[in-house]
Amino acid sequence: MNIIRKVTLEGVNTRSSITRTIHLYAPCCKNQAGRYRITPRKDLPLTYEMANPPHQIAHRKAWNSWNTSNIDGGIRPAQTAIEDVFIRKFVTGTWHNLFVSEVIIKRQHNIIRIAGIIRRGIGARKMYFLIGYTEELLSFWLQCPIKLELQTVADKRDVVFKYI
Amino acid sequence: MLSYSRSFEKFLFSNVEKSLPFSIAYSTEVKKEVKEEFRVLNLKNVKRQTQPKRAQKQLEALPPRTNKMPVDQDWGSVWPGPRSFHPASVPLPVRQGYVEKGVAPDKYANAELIKIPNFLHLTPPVIKRQCEALKKFCTPWPKALENDKECEKHFPIEVTSSDYCHSAPTIRNPLARIVTIKFKLSSLNLNERAKDKFLRLVGERYNKETDTVAIVTDRCPLKKQNYDYAMYLLTACYHESWNVEPWEELKSEADMEYYDWSKNASKKSVEALFGKQTEDIPNVKEYSEAVSTLMNEGESEYSVTKYGDSVRKLLGLPDAPKT
Repeated sequence: MNIIRKVTLEGVNTRSSITRTIHLYAPCCKNQAGRYRITPRKDLPLTYEMANPPHQIAHRKAWNSWNTSNIDGGIRPAQTAIEDVFIRKFVTGTWHNLFVSEVIIKRQHNIIRIAGIIRRGIGARKMYFLIGYTEELLSFWLQCPIKLELQTVADKRDVVFKYI
Repeated sequence: MLSYSRSFEKFLFSNVEKSLPFSIAYSTEVKKEVKEEFRVLNLKNVKRQTQPKRAQKQLEALPPRTNKMPVDQDWGSVWPGPRSFHPASVPLPVRQGYVEKGVAPDKYANAELIKIPNFLHLTPPVIKRQCEALKKFCTPWPKALENDKECEKHFPIEVTSSDYCHSAPTIRNPLARIVTIKFKLSSLNLNERAKDKFLRLVGERYNKETDTVAIVTDRCPLKKQNYDYAMYLLTACYHESWNVEPWEELKSEADMEYYDWSKNASKKSVEALFGKQTEDIPNVKEYSEAVSTLMNEGESEYSVTKYGDSVRKLLGLPDAPKT
């Protein structure tokens, strides 16, 4: 299905005509989001979450955000989505280079539970500080109780599901 | 072009001026280095001997406490409230995930287990314990309301409204304002005329099959206001249906929407025929019913036959010969 169309604006002389080509190749319709390419050496580490493409959600893997905003009759869908993006950015930035899984955001009533797996890259005291810091600041901004429920792994290779 | 070169010269000059003190400092540094070793001009940008990567400091973590858990522990105090799954606290060999060949990933560092909601805080013994704790706040069920019939008798109005639980910082939901009240029409104290008027006022809110009236109010912003409005509507309809307006008295037989035997010429002619009041004539009730059915529901084989039978009975004639 190779279609290349030339759209020429009429009324303009041919020397300075504006040409626009529209590509409608079949490869242009290919889904690429959330999929990873196989590397020549087969050494790209993938977590379970990364190993399963988005169409496997609700089959092999679950959602990263759990809330009732998008069900029928749910309230605040837009605000929830924006807040989730903000929480993800804040958490990954605050726990810099420590999160080895995705940030999982679960909402129950007005509580927001932020879960995930982190690497034991910093000491326990720093970790406790960061937990308190994240909870305090996020609950101030979002005006609701925040709970951070983290698991730690010794090495980031612990969460690797496969190499491609 | 000319102006461009000029400005370029100017730029160069100012740059030289500025960088002068730095260049001096640089030269002193060079002298120091010369004492030790010549600097190598690295034109091809060849990498020097790479330093070994600093090993990441391994922080010791305690062994998972599931190792130390006794078999007969009190699970309710290990996992007292709702919480995301944690492999070191749950002594179950759970696995989650799909692997084409091989076993599913185990609980350690398994993000799928964190995602799914768990009910580890609501085990049957814990629920039992919580119910026991709540029991002292409960009152016994009133003895007078043993069955549904009694309940309906003492509480004829059924009020329905919804509360919504969302995972959102707000507890408000616009749908929570809607209030529905239901009651049986027979529970109201109405006579024939008032009942007719009540049904006209209520309109399609009356369900003929179940004999219930349902009033839904959603025009006020709050649930309480809507409840009050529904109660007001009920009261207003009730009293209005008992109210007889002066123009209602003007209703003649031609305005009647159904055939009422007791107000019609048929009754008078029967009374004239027998020379008695209607109450004293035997079998008149059956006749009146047959006439009403015939007039209200139209002619059908059944109603006509019934009418004929009742007339024979009324006049004391023998039954119609069976065909």
